[in-house]
Amino acid sequence: MIGFNTLDPYLPRPFSFLELDKETFSILVKIKGGGTELLSKVREGDELKVLGPLGKAFCPPEEGVLIAGGIGIAPVYYQSKYMKRGILFYGCKSKKDLVLIREFKKKGFVLRLITEDEGGFVTELVKKHTDELNDKQIFICGPIEMIKNVKNVLNKKQIENAYVYMEKRMGCGLGGCKSCAVKVTEGYKLICTEGPIFPLKEVKFD
Amino acid sequence: MIDLSVKLGALELKNPILLASGVWDIPYAKLIDFSKMGGVICKGVSLNPKEGNPPPRITETPCGVINSIGLENNGYENFESKVLPEIKSLGTQVFVNVFGESIEEFKVIASKINNVAGLELNISCPNVNKGGENFGKDPKTVFSITKAVCDVTDLPVIVKLSPSAPSIEQTAEAAKEGGATAVTVANTFSGLVIDIEKRGPLFERITGGLSGPAIKPLALYNVYKIKNSVDIPIIGSGGIANYKDVLEYLIIGATAVQLGSIIFNNPLAPIEILDNLSYWLEKNECENLRDLNKK
Repeated sequence: MIGFNTLDPYLPRPFSFLELDKETFSILVKIKGGGTELLSKVREGDELKVLGPLGKAFCPPEEGVLIAGGIGIAPVYYQSKYMKRGILFYGCKSKKDLVLIREFKKKGFVLRLITEDEGGFVTELVKKHTDELNDKQIFICGPIEMIKNVKNVLNKKQIENAYVYMEKRMGCGLGGCKSCAVKVTEGYKLICTEGPIFPLKEVKFD
Repeated sequence: MIDLSVKLGALELKNPILLASGVWDIPYAKLIDFSKMGGVICKGVSLNPKEGNPPPRITETPCGVINSIGLENNGYENFESKVLPEIKSLGTQVFVNVFGESIEEFKVIASKINNVAGLELNISCPNVNKGGENFGKDPKTVFSITKAVCDVTDLPVIVKLSPSAPSIEQTAEAAKEGGATAVTVANTFSGLVIDIEKRGPLFERITGGLSGPAIKPLALYNVYKIKNSVDIPIIGSGGIANYKDVLEYLIIGATAVQLGSIIFNNPLAPIEILDNLSYWLEKNECENLRDLNKK
């Protein structure tokens, strides 16, 4: 969680790590509202409140498939650092939004890229290459509509070994306020303490 | 050393800073030394588990936050066996926030709880269909619930009032008549957030409860109104962000205060506020909180 030294914006913002080592970390910010706008103006020497790392740890597979839409590239990029090889399906609005391509290439990932203005949605790309998903662990991060569509594609092919990164506005980040609930097969789970990764089949999107 | 102790009836707290219900949990112990707090109020507990409201459950407003959590909790049995022992080990006074959909449910839970500093009756949650502020708006119901609980417990009973009551002085008076030791003034204010993409209310239950600095003047006014008409200790709650806000509540007549959503904004706020409060009092030649009103 990244918090501000102001009362407006009031709430801290949950972010995934883009990179992390012993002394520093980085995040990827897309300006969407007041909080991200303020973050984009942070300069060296400014102070922010940082609380973390939060959530449940998981162990990425050596080889797997990453499916990202837009800013959803950030956590899968961090995950890719712990993987030996894989395939990245990645879609954005336009070419200039596709970031970190060089880094994924360097890592030896197979890249499947698409942009809305020149081809369509990442879901279509996934549909075209479903044979590449067999017997692999799949990790998805992106807008809810994209996740829902990918889930439909995977369901049709009876591919079940998929996980999703969930995101919601949070209050405390420590399980106290119960704000970041996600509907799952049985009731609700909290992203901050039980997530951010959930088995795709467990999450209810409607 | 400044004496920060305060008294709620016969109950003494080492300082007036309490952590409000529903904003903190045990992991905060890594950030806050709970033993320095005047006390903590547990997340509202109902007899049976409640799964809470459908998401989204929270959003930000200017200098504030509006929630529609819906009292998610795992029920009394789980609370008593798993949650409460851990909270008691934090080394501070523990108040249990109790929620019931009926007078009977309040009575049943209240009669089971002992060995804590007190109970806080939640008759003011704006985010549930049964109970909550439906009870807290009506002085007669406030009286009945308070009395029913006081009849089955020897613990101090604090009633958390609803700011939506047509007359908060009347509900405060009803709580007092029912036997309450103190009143919390108050719960979140009902509010509405519109999602323009959805072309309608953001929350499924339409309204949510607004908290944060945005409501502080409203909550202070409620404290003022009650202070001037009902003789009962007041725990002020609403929008406290720093020690000056605490002083404002104490000056206008609150005996203690609760910190709520500010700990989202700054998890270290409780300790900072406590330190700064002591420092300010010392600088202003107050030996204790009673000296505040000498000037």
